[in-house]
Amino acid sequence: MTRDQSIVFIVDDDVYVREAIEDLFRSVGHDVQAFGTTDAFLQAPRVDLPGCLILDVRLPNTSGLEFQREQAESGFHLPTVFITGHGDIPMSVAAMKAGAIEFLTKPFRDQDLLDAVHRGIALDRRRRTELAILAGMKERYASLTSREREIMDLVVAGQINKQIAGELGLSEMTVKVHRAQVMRKMNAKSLPELVRIADHLSSATTRA
Amino acid sequence: MIDKQGNVPLLLSTIPPNRSQRRLAGWVLAILVIALVVTAPFSRIRLAETAPLLLAYAAAVLFVEVLTAALLLSLFAIQKSRAVLVLSAGYLFSGLLVIPWALTFPGIFTAFGLDAGLQSTAAIAAVRRLSFPVFVLAYAALKDQEDLALWPRASIRTVIAAQVLLIAGLAAGLTWTIIQADQLPTFMVDARDVAPLWRYVPAAAIGLYLVGLVVLWLRRQSTLDLWLMIVLCTLVIEIALLSYLGGGARLSVGWWAGRLYGLASASMVLLVLLSETATLQARLARSIHSERLARESRLTAMEALSASIAHEISQPLASMVTNANAGLRWLDKEIPRIVEAQAALERVVRDGHRARDVVDGIRQLFRKGTQDRTSVDMNSLIKDVLRRSADEARFGRVSVESDLDPNLPLATGSPLQLQQVISNLVANAVDATSAVTGRPRIVRIITRLRASREILVSVEDSGPGIADTLKDRIFEPFFSTKPDGMGMGLMFSRSVVESHGGKLWVEDTVTSGAIFRFTLPCSDWTGASDTELRQ
Repeated sequence: MTRDQSIVFIVDDDVYVREAIEDLFRSVGHDVQAFGTTDAFLQAPRVDLPGCLILDVRLPNTSGLEFQREQAESGFHLPTVFITGHGDIPMSVAAMKAGAIEFLTKPFRDQDLLDAVHRGIALDRRRRTELAILAGMKERYASLTSREREIMDLVVAGQINKQIAGELGLSEMTVKVHRAQVMRKMNAKSLPELVRIADHLSSATTRA
Repeated sequence: MIDKQGNVPLLLSTIPPNRSQRRLAGWVLAILVIALVVTAPFSRIRLAETAPLLLAYAAAVLFVEVLTAALLLSLFAIQKSRAVLVLSAGYLFSGLLVIPWALTFPGIFTAFGLDAGLQSTAAIAAVRRLSFPVFVLAYAALKDQEDLALWPRASIRTVIAAQVLLIAGLAAGLTWTIIQADQLPTFMVDARDVAPLWRYVPAAAIGLYLVGLVVLWLRRQSTLDLWLMIVLCTLVIEIALLSYLGGGARLSVGWWAGRLYGLASASMVLLVLLSETATLQARLARSIHSERLARESRLTAMEALSASIAHEISQPLASMVTNANAGLRWLDKEIPRIVEAQAALERVVRDGHRARDVVDGIRQLFRKGTQDRTSVDMNSLIKDVLRRSADEARFGRVSVESDLDPNLPLATGSPLQLQQVISNLVANAVDATSAVTGRPRIVRIITRLRASREILVSVEDSGPGIADTLKDRIFEPFFSTKPDGMGMGLMFSRSVVESHGGKLWVEDTVTSGAIFRFTLPCSDWTGASDTELRQ
């Protein structure tokens, strides 16, 4: 089932720890990709599946925390579980603030790691679904003509056909036709639905 | 003056004077001599009506000398040195005798009927003049005696009280005896002029002052000694003005000048003692502060070290636990996956060995680089280290000597590590020695070839030595007698020497200080046989 497929990424410079975690996830039926450095992870071709990253804090070159911060700034959204040989409270607070799912100190309980990773995968799946929906909306919005977009904006803003016609210097009939076209193209069954779609689109653009 | 931990109380009576103090003392002395020369021509002029000023003078002397005595007693309370106690007694006695001296001075208290016999004042003055240098001499003689460090605090207070009472009683008794005596030596012909007998008093006093000066000069070491020498010089000048240039006549210009110069320089000394005490106090406060900082930074270093050890160990532990869990999960399946479980268990075994390697690695942490062994010339290694530590030694005013066997064979080992060992030992020796007062500060490095074909390196110091109870502990990790010490140096040095097939140990010198010795095997047999031929 494609829907349930997922992937776990591991970045740990210690090959033995890497191997052990890899095997643990295999034993519960996960696909795993393990890397020694963050660079190797970034350079590897990424499978397009919901996933979760297990990241060691202490890494050569960039530390796990730095990597997480940098990636978050450049719009990287893979949920991250931190593991560390020696963690302190400020370190874990920093990681959690930057959006980590969990912060585990080695040696950790396998169930804790599995739970955290499952939580991460679920989160990523939800995010991906939302992204897919949004992408569909964007695509549909892009298929509108400029006149239709104008009319959609005014409709969403709460104006009635008569006002729109007055504002744009069109006949009410023309507005009606365009409006039906907008509803069809945007796949909206009602006015509230169209408003919600517009909301999604505008919040996505302001976020980006 | 130094306890076994090598702590030197920063006191006037223990620390050597610095350059600015010596310069100030020189200036005071120079000004006094100039004043002497300037006043000399006028010294015989009589100032008859100045007798009432005598009381003001006496009050000032009393004030200055009693205050100096009090300051010295406070020094004694900390340092518990007999010498300082005796010196404070001298000041107190001299100060207290000023009271009967002024009260019996002819013509001052006549109105109150206090005029004692003609000879009383002079007799008191003679006792005062001659007793002070005796106290100073006693101070100089007792200086190097062991301090009364073991006296408990309460009994120190008792000692101080007893001394004050004793001296006050002595002064009072003496005064009483002199006033009541029927027959006193005839020092004065009248109220203003001295009799021939008086001539012996200043001569004897000057003699005592000069002996005191010489003794202090020979045994000088502290700021207090420096200023005591200035005091004695002043007293010589004072006597010169009073008794010789002023012709021995009371209330002449020379007589007054001598007294006033003496008073001025005594006040100066008091001021210097006071300000030095304050400075030392401030320095003490600062050093306590920096010690606290050092302790904190040592804690941070230990935290960093333990964090890194924790990380190193938790790494294989993590993979062990995770592998074991994976193995369990493979077995837990509906159809157990034996092959995978087996592989996981093999990894658990491997991780166990790895954890042991980590522990070994930590033990080897300080033995890194021992594999890169080459032939090492210990003499040139030592010269290198001494060149680099020359500045530190100069700073601590320690003279570093070396006595290197020119025919020393080569050793085998890591030059970097052996250099570290020598520089550790030398730095320790310089640190221990720079705190020493009262004997030469010397660090000596000796290399010898032993008959057993071993190179022997000794680092001797004239420091306080190492208490027997600490001799074993100093080689333990994190144990340090130095406030900023990590407690790693000796532990590291011993493990380096042992990894080179040698031994490192500590001995006491015959007199004072410690000797750290280590041996290293020679690298080549020819070097050894050469020496055998020589022997």
